[in-house]
Amino acid sequence: MSMIAAFVMATFTTPENIGVTPQSMLWLLPLVAAISVVYKTTKLPKIRFAHLLKESIILFGSIVVFMAITALVLVAFAWLVTE
Amino acid sequence: MAPRSREGHIMFLLIVGLMGWFVPGGGHLALNEKKHAIVIFAAIALTFATGLYIGSIGIINPVGAKPWYIAQLMNSPAVAFLGQLTRTGDYPVYGRPGEIGQIYTSIAGLLNLLCIVNAVYWAHLRGTGAAGE
Repeated sequence: MSMIAAFVMATFTTPENIGVTPQSMLWLLPLVAAISVVYKTTKLPKIRFAHLLKESIILFGSIVVFMAITALVLVAFAWLVTE
Repeated sequence: MAPRSREGHIMFLLIVGLMGWFVPGGGHLALNEKKHAIVIFAAIALTFATGLYIGSIGIINPVGAKPWYIAQLMNSPAVAFLGQLTRTGDYPVYGRPGEIGQIYTSIAGLLNLLCIVNAVYWAHLRGTGAAGE
């Protein structure tokens, strides 16, 4: 038991090894999922699993698409400025 | 249910808000919204734990990252205990893990603030009889 506790404690006292790579941007996806679920939970008067899931997926998709469009606009703008 | 006095109503709102701060989803639990409370608790606790896992407890830094710390404190007063542990600087964290961990834990705190405000608003509507139930 103490070994397991020590292992769990150790995972929370040393940071993970995440490099500054394009793949590290994928860490935004779980965060967007959490934001979608919590926001929709506060908006729905009655929680039904299927309904909450559907609403959360729609919001998740909207946020991701909007962020992708924003990123593309910023990349285009940076390209125009630096070209 | 008998209507509460003005003082009783304000006290009830305060209790709902404090319960939501002490445990994510606690405010909704006080309003007997068990499903809301479970979803909120699971989502916020998981987001906060993910942030701690990525960046370690060193991302809770009441000395060098005060604005982030205030947002993290919205998760629960228990974060202040972690802040006391890391105040000595024994858990340094730099670079991308530090950034991602701080963003996760701070967003979790701000989401809990949203839930606290939501629970207090629902409690107010029910107290004034304005809730359409």
